[in-house]
Amino acid sequence: MIQTDTQRADERDTVPLSTRRSFWGAVMANGAYGSATGLLFKSQRRQFLLLASVPILWILFANVGPILQMVRISFLDSYPPMAGYQPQLTLSNWNNFFAESIFIVPYFRTLAYSVVFTVATLIITYPVAYFLAKHVKRSNQLLFLLLLLIPFWVGEIVRTYAIMILLGNNGAVNLVLKSLGLIERPIPFMYTSFSLGVGIVYLTALYMLLPLYSALEKIPNTYLEAAADLGAGAWTRFRRVTLPLSKEGIASGCTLVFLISTGYYAAPVLLGGPSTTVFAETIAGFFHVAGDQWPTGAAFSTIMLISALAITGVFLKLMGRSGRGLMQ
Amino acid sequence: MSRNTRILMSVIYWAFVVYLFVPLVLMVTMGFKDSKFIGFPIRGWTLDWYSEIFRSAEVLGAFGYTMAIALSTTFLSLVIGTWIAAFLGPHKFRGKLLVFALACMPAVIPGIISAISLRIYIQFLQIDTGMAAIILGHTIHNVPFVALVVMARLATLPKSHIEAARDLGADQLVAFSRVTLPYLKPALIGAGVFCMLLSFDDFVRSFFLGSYQPTLPVLIFAKLRSGMSPEINAISTVVLVITAILGIWAERSMRRMNKGTSV
Repeated sequence: MIQTDTQRADERDTVPLSTRRSFWGAVMANGAYGSATGLLFKSQRRQFLLLASVPILWILFANVGPILQMVRISFLDSYPPMAGYQPQLTLSNWNNFFAESIFIVPYFRTLAYSVVFTVATLIITYPVAYFLAKHVKRSNQLLFLLLLLIPFWVGEIVRTYAIMILLGNNGAVNLVLKSLGLIERPIPFMYTSFSLGVGIVYLTALYMLLPLYSALEKIPNTYLEAAADLGAGAWTRFRRVTLPLSKEGIASGCTLVFLISTGYYAAPVLLGGPSTTVFAETIAGFFHVAGDQWPTGAAFSTIMLISALAITGVFLKLMGRSGRGLMQ
Repeated sequence: MSRNTRILMSVIYWAFVVYLFVPLVLMVTMGFKDSKFIGFPIRGWTLDWYSEIFRSAEVLGAFGYTMAIALSTTFLSLVIGTWIAAFLGPHKFRGKLLVFALACMPAVIPGIISAISLRIYIQFLQIDTGMAAIILGHTIHNVPFVALVVMARLATLPKSHIEAARDLGADQLVAFSRVTLPYLKPALIGAGVFCMLLSFDDFVRSFFLGSYQPTLPVLIFAKLRSGMSPEINAISTVVLVITAILGIWAERSMRRMNKGTSV
């Protein structure tokens, strides 16, 4: 005991004043720590490599790896691997897509739905975002925004179920219409493209609303006042000032909503019917069945991914900006 | 702006709020209905559905499973996401935009494609479907959100703070632990709670990467496929309450962070 105490005292005297007596000082004074960090932090270059290693490895492993595997599998004739069989390279999985209309129709339906739902979301949320950004007092904006955020924390499944209850034959909408005397028998909203649309807009509205709000909020009121002073009416001010200056928000919002709405699986299963089968359901079908269907599913997923990215790429190009600000 | 447009705008806003809340209110209401049949009219009220789910081993098991996955995912996402932010935030190098785009990719890939590619990937890595696979999938999906939030916070950290720490004898690691990390704390709390939310609510990845034990959203989905019942409403309401609490918590810590940035 006594010996260790004197040892500590010795150590304390050799440690620089600044690091004395603190936990971190003790850590830095530790010989093993010193030699380890000395080795690691010796040069700027080494520090940079150390800092870069985990992110780069993670991005390659976690973000690039799955996509590359999916593309690779789409060219194999069988997967998951079977014992004693060497998979051959083939293009037949990709050909399947063009061979059957039961695949092509859901594909185009998905793209068409996603475009329509994106435009609908834009039209519905734009006035809401505008109201928030320009008409609500700045000190109240967070509160008003929070009111809109709360429903979006609830997950995809729960919100989809909520829409099922809303639109069902004994749901609230039919109840209201009936009690108003507008209809005698309930309107079958469910399992149609209408119910799917209401559901998808409900699920994605926030991804449109937030970029729109942050773009609109940045427009100085003085611009609008100046336009008004120069004789521009409300419509002209909107068309010539507000709309062009919120372009970035529109571009980000539409990109996000489009990409996200192409990828929904549960909502179309629960809200849609046989006439609204989307490509996500087609793709999923290949993975519920055992065996050699996976490669076709992988090829279809790849087709979907390429199409979705190509469409957003063209869209962003048309909106006149690079994808740089996409995640803002 | 004329008075009429202003009124019209506020009407649209409140109509939108109603559109967002009415389905959820209906869903909660139906959970107290004293009948197995979902829909109007409601003739009697009961708490039986709640007492039933709190005694159901299936529901409680799914809840514990979902929570365990959410907590593990959050921890992993915070570590990796912060590391990515610390790397991408302050450093300039060739190809940074590409690395940034790849880092953000999982956040914008359509859900079904993300799920399918991960299902293939875990097969390739010889990971069985189940908890580990779901945690991996959720972590991959959540890391970009953490990285973006932490990067935003990191951008506001004055360089002089780190330099001061270095001048006072701290090495890089100590300066990071004692200056950068405390500064990042509100961002880490916000991003962490957001990760919990994402993981807790995720359906498509949990569905394709899971095995027999379902997570809560997967359980709700499975029950829904065999028909609507107030039991599902009760489970969904519990999920809703948990997510609302988590969400408000995340929002508060993020707001505190934004207040603190004007240093």
